[in-house]
Amino acid sequence: MDDRVTDWRGGLGMAAVVAAGLIIAALFVLAAGKSPAAVFRVMLGHAVATGPGLAEVMVRAVPLCLAGLGVAVAFRCNVFNIGADGQLVVGAILATAAAAMLPPALALVGFLVCGIIGGAAYGGIAGWLKARFGVSEIIVTIMQNYIAIQLLTWMVRGPMQEKMGMFPRSDAIPGAAMLDILVTGTRVHWGIVIALAATGAIHVLMRHASFGFQVTVVGRNPLVARFAGIRDRRIVLLAMLVSGGLAGLAGAVEIAGLHHRLQDDFAPGFGLLAIAVALLARLEPLAVPFSALLFGILHVGSGAVQREIGLPFPVVWIFEAIVIFGCLGVTAVGRRKVTA
Amino acid sequence: MIDTLFLVGLAASALRFATPILFAALGETMAQRSGVLNVGLEGIMLVGAFAGMVGAVWTGSPWGGLVIAMACGMALAGLHALFCLTFRVDQILSGIALIVLGTGLSGFGWRLTLGGTGTPPKAPPFPRLDLPGLSDLPVVGQILFQHQPMVYLGIALAFALAWFLRRTTWGLEIRAVGENPAAADAAGIGVLARRYGCVLFGGAMAAAGGCYLSVSQVGGFVENMVSGRGFIAIACVVFGQWRPLRVLCAALLFGAAEAAQIRLQLIAPHIPYQLFVMMPYVVAVAALVVVARSTRLPAALGRPFVPDR
Amino acid sequence: MAALLELRGITKRYPGVLANDDVGLTVAAGEVVAVLGENGAGKSTVMNVIAGLIRPDAGDMLIDGRPVRPRSPREAAALGVGMVHQHFKLVPTMTVAENIVLGDYRAGRLLLRPARNAARIDGLCAELGLAAAPGTPVGDLDLGARQKVEIAKALFRDARILILDEPTAILSRQECDQLYEIIRRLAARGVAVVLISHKLDDVFAVCDRVYVMRGGRVVGERRVADTARDDLVRLVVGGTLDLPRRRTGAAPGAPLVSVRDLALRRPGGPIVLQDVSFDLRGGEVLAVAGVEGNGQAELIEALAGLLPPATGRIDYGFLHGRRPDARRLRQGGLGHVPGDRHGMAVLGDLSLEANVMLTHFHMPGFARAGLLRRQPAASLTEGLIGRFEVRTPSTTTAIGRLSGGNQQKLVVGRELNHATRVLLAAHPTRGLDLRTIAFMQGQLLDHRDRGGAVLLVSSDLAEIWRVADRVMVAASGRLRGPVAIDEVTVEEVGSWMTA
Repeated sequence: MDDRVTDWRGGLGMAAVVAAGLIIAALFVLAAGKSPAAVFRVMLGHAVATGPGLAEVMVRAVPLCLAGLGVAVAFRCNVFNIGADGQLVVGAILATAAAAMLPPALALVGFLVCGIIGGAAYGGIAGWLKARFGVSEIIVTIMQNYIAIQLLTWMVRGPMQEKMGMFPRSDAIPGAAMLDILVTGTRVHWGIVIALAATGAIHVLMRHASFGFQVTVVGRNPLVARFAGIRDRRIVLLAMLVSGGLAGLAGAVEIAGLHHRLQDDFAPGFGLLAIAVALLARLEPLAVPFSALLFGILHVGSGAVQREIGLPFPVVWIFEAIVIFGCLGVTAVGRRKVTA
Repeated sequence: MIDTLFLVGLAASALRFATPILFAALGETMAQRSGVLNVGLEGIMLVGAFAGMVGAVWTGSPWGGLVIAMACGMALAGLHALFCLTFRVDQILSGIALIVLGTGLSGFGWRLTLGGTGTPPKAPPFPRLDLPGLSDLPVVGQILFQHQPMVYLGIALAFALAWFLRRTTWGLEIRAVGENPAAADAAGIGVLARRYGCVLFGGAMAAAGGCYLSVSQVGGFVENMVSGRGFIAIACVVFGQWRPLRVLCAALLFGAAEAAQIRLQLIAPHIPYQLFVMMPYVVAVAALVVVARSTRLPAALGRPFVPDR
Repeated sequence: MAALLELRGITKRYPGVLANDDVGLTVAAGEVVAVLGENGAGKSTVMNVIAGLIRPDAGDMLIDGRPVRPRSPREAAALGVGMVHQHFKLVPTMTVAENIVLGDYRAGRLLLRPARNAARIDGLCAELGLAAAPGTPVGDLDLGARQKVEIAKALFRDARILILDEPTAILSRQECDQLYEIIRRLAARGVAVVLISHKLDDVFAVCDRVYVMRGGRVVGERRVADTARDDLVRLVVGGTLDLPRRRTGAAPGAPLVSVRDLALRRPGGPIVLQDVSFDLRGGEVLAVAGVEGNGQAELIEALAGLLPPATGRIDYGFLHGRRPDARRLRQGGLGHVPGDRHGMAVLGDLSLEANVMLTHFHMPGFARAGLLRRQPAASLTEGLIGRFEVRTPSTTTAIGRLSGGNQQKLVVGRELNHATRVLLAAHPTRGLDLRTIAFMQGQLLDHRDRGGAVLLVSSDLAEIWRVADRVMVAASGRLRGPVAIDEVTVEEVGSWMTA
């Protein structure tokens, strides 16, 4: 259903905002005494033009895509889930904890499902508190992030630590629960297929299913939703379950495809990045993979820039903030008064 | 005797731990009373922590650091105000962008300046301000009167803001703007100007809190060192029902939770310390649930004001 | 008497509407003047011009014979104009005294000095008969007391000209009498009062003169003492109300909705309507007449399952005892055209088709296995566009881009499609042109003739007489009636509305 009003002015505004963003980003690079052109060259040269670089971008984009889809679903419902980080971690913990108990035939599916359940349950707490008590999901999900981080550091040093008891990490998960490498010689694993499949599924859910339609209506105006016979609190809770479930899946996929064991700080800052991914995609599921790819490039490229040029890595957050403010700017430019 | 010593130490450090949260929460209280939500406190506090540290080293004085931190905080808050008051974008999204921006600016700036130089130099700390006579009192003196000036300032600020909101014309106008901007507008009060002022004040205070955290409490800057205190400050505002003195109490509660968890780690080494570290965050969620039923937020919070002419 | 306030030739044009056309008006000090007219007659435009909220396209405003041009409420206040809005501009969490002094700081630029103002505020409260202490939060006051705070606010600023916008619309009988008394006292002290109202009672209770407006023009000016009620009614509605009825005399069927001892309030608000009992039967149009804001909006929301009753019950024959909620009612055959279209009925940035889907996605045929079916929504939208002559480029245009009238046509069409049994319609023809109004009213009658029930909320008596079988009147927190429309006269209903 075509529910977005776009026209050429939106495109023009977009171009202007992108230009402004690039200029501001360049100013930061200049402030560090580096050449923006060199940074640009290294970033693209490393992350796009080389095989290994591109492979790393893909690897990085997978969790961003999954968590970004989750953020998109929640934000569409006007539920600000800033807790993808925590949901991702809890999903990964639950999946890893369950891995040894799963029958080999169902190991992989069970592993991923446990990730979804963990993330959904964790996100569901915030959704339930919002629906039931009206507690701000923003603060709750953020607090849950910090709680989840502590949970993870405890788990890998306590109950789930490897048998040797030396490193803060868990034992490797059974081979049957691992995602195979998709491109030999790289770390690119089948998670990329899962991310794309999830994109398709969420697209159908949001654009063609009654659930997604209700999410959109609740997000636009809860009064209209009630008028139309939508049970808005239930939708808020469900949106948080779906959102958390996707983040949890991202966590499980990271473990199953990349790390193969639980360890400290295995997904640093992915939750905040996922927000930028979703906003850049205008909360449109089909655009999320591309947006995730772009942020993958930004991330991998910034690592290369730090190594080769010495531009501090946190600049990536500045670039990301510029992207978010840019998206907001485009919204402001594109908004017009709806005729009374 | 050991118990008394322990409790005195706990109470005194609760005050110290409460201070950064208190500054940020008081600033946010003013912003929210005027109707503007700023969820980006975390980012502003980070920048305040970084700029305060760098400023203190450069100027050779913690106060210099404080001034520089507050200026940076106001700049970030100004960006927030520009986007959500002038461009009228969603206040929450703008706040999220601010978190990310603060994370980047502080980390980036730190590595470019002091962080890039092996062992960063120590910042000159705030001197301890003993109040003659009072500080020597047993127990009470140790808890209340052996602190750095920022601790006293934070508590004084809570009282000052409570008085300001109640007893001054500006306070009256700010309350009106946050509750019913149309009524304020009809009474000839510039809604946008009041809101800009409150948001900028909120930014300055959040940065001041961050500055205290790095220069004084931790004695250095670490990336992401604010670790959720910005959000705990927002929880304090809600838990304190937008009243400065109750916000002070809420901040003290979180300060106590933090002070207690550190001591509990030592007392109970057999319990995983992570469970104690979680405590302030769990307290924050619990606090929000407790007040959820009775919460009455400023009526116009988060809504852009469009005059009807 | 020399005029304190004078308007000459005020004209204000909005796209497609001439809100004020050459309006002239004078008020002398100590005089009480009414501006009387129906909704949309142009009264509020006049008021907003005086209050500095609207700048007229042409015409002059004079105070003490000197031309003035207030550009903001603050400038108007400085000229001595005080305004009491129908929807009070008060801050509920602040006290009476704080609300009164807000924005006026003669007592001190920086510090609120309650002691310096206390004597004046006490005096004003005493004069207005406001019993509450100045330290009471305004939110704790009833509506009558809040209105007194609004008046005190204007008088605190030394208003010499006081404009009251529909001041009695939400007041009880006794509160009205108190207000009249206050107005008389203020006039005796030399304040010029302009009273904007629907109600004849207001005019006869306190006013010296009355201006009657219709269609943006002043159609008459009378000295109240020399005027008969009927004469004014005729001026307001334009000629006698001898309206042709389009009735086919369908026999009313069984009750579809039974309301018993219902009382309604918004969450946290006061009771706005109580002791409501009536049956809505198939094959009838039951109208609720009344000045807006007398609980009609709450009644219709309650019937639509959106507002739980404070006390009493609503039974829907077709729900077979299941708990009513908005979704079940829609699925059971209830359509709802709300008065507040933008706030409730449509999402402006979604397409027409999506706005049709909005209320249909849980209806049979519009979704299968959780997936929406576009085809039925598209063809229904096409059908509605054709049948209701909605002017739109396509079914995928954002509905917010259409004119208000075209949006309303789609909404009414959509809700009629739901209403196999009951249609709740609040002001369904407001803002439409005459031809469309006739068409819409025809649709309501057709629905009735097919055996459906219509609850029509309207403040337009002409409309009610054209389509309704029975009528109830909402006034002062109660519903009067229902009575068969043949058994009452317009004048009777009008007097109930304004009682």
